[in-house]
Amino acid sequence: MIFKKMMGIGCLLLSSVSALTPGLSHADSEKTLTIANYRDIRDLNPHLYSGELFAQNLIFEGLVHLDENGQPEPWLAESWTVSEDGKLYTFRLRKDVTFSDGTPFDAHVVKSNFDALLDNSGRHSWLESIRLMMEVEKSGKESIRATDDYTVTIEFPNAYYPFLVELGVTRPFRFLSPGCFKNGTTKDGLDCLVGTGSYVLTSNVVDQQSVFEVNNNYWGEKPEINRLVAKVIPDSQARLLALRSGEIDMVYGLQLISAQAYKQFESDRRFNTALSKPVSTRMLILNTTSEQLADTRVRQALTHLTNKAVIAERIMLGLEQPADSLLSKNVPYADIELTAFDHDTSRAMELFRQAGWVSDNGTLKKDGKPLNITLSYDSDKVVERTIAQYLQSEWGKAGINLDLIGEEEQAHRDRLKAADFDISFNISWGTPYDPQSFMGAMRTPVYGDMLAQQGLKEKKQIDQSILAALETVDESERQKLYTYILETLHREAVYIPLTYEQNQAIFNSRVNGVGFNPSQFEIPLQRMSVKE
Amino acid sequence: MAKFIIKRLLAACVTLFLVSFVAFVIVNLIPADPAEVALRINDIPPSEEAIAEMRQQLGLDKPFMARYFDWLSASLQLDFGVSYTNTDRMVSEELARSFPYTLRLAGISLLLLVGISLPVGILSAVYKNHWFDHIVRLFIFASTAMPNFWLAFILIWCFSLELNWLPSSGATTWQHYILPGMTLCMAYIATYIRLIRNAMLESMGEQYVTYARARGLSEWSVVTKHMLKNSLQTSMTALGIGVVRLVAGTVVIENIFAIPGLGRLALAAIFNRDYPVLQAYILAMGCLFVLSNLIIDLLHTAVDPRLKTAGSQQ
Repeated sequence: MIFKKMMGIGCLLLSSVSALTPGLSHADSEKTLTIANYRDIRDLNPHLYSGELFAQNLIFEGLVHLDENGQPEPWLAESWTVSEDGKLYTFRLRKDVTFSDGTPFDAHVVKSNFDALLDNSGRHSWLESIRLMMEVEKSGKESIRATDDYTVTIEFPNAYYPFLVELGVTRPFRFLSPGCFKNGTTKDGLDCLVGTGSYVLTSNVVDQQSVFEVNNNYWGEKPEINRLVAKVIPDSQARLLALRSGEIDMVYGLQLISAQAYKQFESDRRFNTALSKPVSTRMLILNTTSEQLADTRVRQALTHLTNKAVIAERIMLGLEQPADSLLSKNVPYADIELTAFDHDTSRAMELFRQAGWVSDNGTLKKDGKPLNITLSYDSDKVVERTIAQYLQSEWGKAGINLDLIGEEEQAHRDRLKAADFDISFNISWGTPYDPQSFMGAMRTPVYGDMLAQQGLKEKKQIDQSILAALETVDESERQKLYTYILETLHREAVYIPLTYEQNQAIFNSRVNGVGFNPSQFEIPLQRMSVKE
Repeated sequence: MAKFIIKRLLAACVTLFLVSFVAFVIVNLIPADPAEVALRINDIPPSEEAIAEMRQQLGLDKPFMARYFDWLSASLQLDFGVSYTNTDRMVSEELARSFPYTLRLAGISLLLLVGISLPVGILSAVYKNHWFDHIVRLFIFASTAMPNFWLAFILIWCFSLELNWLPSSGATTWQHYILPGMTLCMAYIATYIRLIRNAMLESMGEQYVTYARARGLSEWSVVTKHMLKNSLQTSMTALGIGVVRLVAGTVVIENIFAIPGLGRLALAAIFNRDYPVLQAYILAMGCLFVLSNLIIDLLHTAVDPRLKTAGSQQ
């Protein structure tokens, strides 16, 4: 009796749960695409840096767009000219553009947006173009001028070729309706989020989901997807389960999908997968100021000892290609001939011998001291740990004691910045920031590159070449300079390129036309469609 | 009684002051430059100029104790500063936004906890060593050993993927809270079943139970009206502390089920080194524990005045 009554209470509880959950709202139809992101879209002010790039790309546009090859093409500027000395850029703007709030887009809007950026120039100090504009402004002249309603000129004190690429990246050179400015500027926040882009943000529940709908005032061709719902699902397993259950249509992005998960979905007929061209390089950075690694021959020997094919095939499960050079050949100015350091143990041992390291009972020693090297990695990144453990085992066979130092992200970065490492993991900035921003950062102590290169005899010349490459207006001269930098860093084996990272997408059968833009942070919805 | 309450309140204030200091010190001991962290979170390359500007903006150029007292006095006015991750949001607003989600999750979890552990606990006492009791013991063993993130994925697989009854993530409807609620309560359910079972078994030997049976009352009536009433006192006290534990124990679960509550806020703050959020979270949890302990102590004293006397004598 008691048993029956008590079980009745339990059954009542369960039945009430099932009765109140008659059906689940899965990904909506009506040309709606539902995706998952690992965090909230946050502050989408394009003049600051905290917002999600994919969302900023939907709402805000710039003067130029980077095409599939990373080359600038017209966007809000229908054409432009660059003076012969490379110091003056003149942009002619489209005349049919309005912001989603109806405000016309013209030269005065461009000027006010650039002024807002210069008003917060310290925040943009990583951009050489902002520094150059400020130099002009400080001399008492105006760097940005609206010469008529639809023409804007931007003047620099010297030539700076990556400017058009910088204008094409997502931030900070995107345009906001002046009606959204707070206190006449954008650094203190915004009163609204109004751009000229093909989508508008219609709702955002913090940390839950954001909804973007097609901008009815859009000046260009309207995208086929009417509505994009971006759900926030922080856990990677939960994201994939939501994809399987139909609650989302697609998972898109670099680092959002593990190699194992990608492989699983690749073999599942209900889902499709897509891989982009290489977008960045996963590499090891070797500290040339380290006592053990100061000799070029030792660094070259370690490069020969590294079996990139095994890393690409067994650790990355074939989703990343082995890297033979610091930058992939599809990166501008990086399509040069370099002799790859093949996996060649005997060549490596010969180089060690030439450098004075001889094998003694299976351990490489010089003047009686064993070859002890540290490899530091970000302990939050499973891939880095796995590669580090593989190298520890492989290099150990050659007689090298590789000590692994796994630390959480910020401690790892601190170690890099202080050059307190022998070898560490590193990554290039990715398209479209490579090569100009990645190399530009080698001149300043932003990350570990500058300090790690200090042991090179040619460091000064490398830095001068980077600066000269940024300033020259002669295309062949620029190629020559980049070739010199890449050849020198390759020959000196400062970096051991491991694999080229590729952007990934997994999506269900509703989604068509999934592709990738040169910028790894964009989701090219313009080319995608969904079945109703 | 008034003297006792004042004493306990003063002790609670001192504890909270210590919690605030520890929260501030611990976070400041993390070996990372907060200015650089703030830049990194916002994807700004940490150039020297940017770091210097950020240090000044965050007030990091001031001495440690000055920063602590500035933070403490602002915290007393519920101003915990600005989140590093979302520079346009106040930390107090973030806490206020997240708290209702966690409260809902803890509430549903509590309902499930009581709804399941109460009948199961009673039945396993009534049917001691019966097959039902053995199954319950097996369940207790399994649920204690099972990590809650694993249980979460099993529940998602079962109820979302296979049965398609419940959503796997989000927090827009109350159905979204069932699976996370079940996962969360499972960590505590074994304890409560055992607690209720033991209390019931103890009651069974009491004279008032024998007397009730001798009066010819039905077994249902004896169990629910007499034994249960007396057995619940211990369980209720444990449940009082359990509610706070439920609120504080949501970190992993909220992350898996994408519920934007306090737990997820704390986890994101840990990963991002979002110091202001982390400090405020530790302080808020400290307050919650101190407050609940205080309330439980006062309730205990009100119910059983001997405790107050014993406390005074010590």
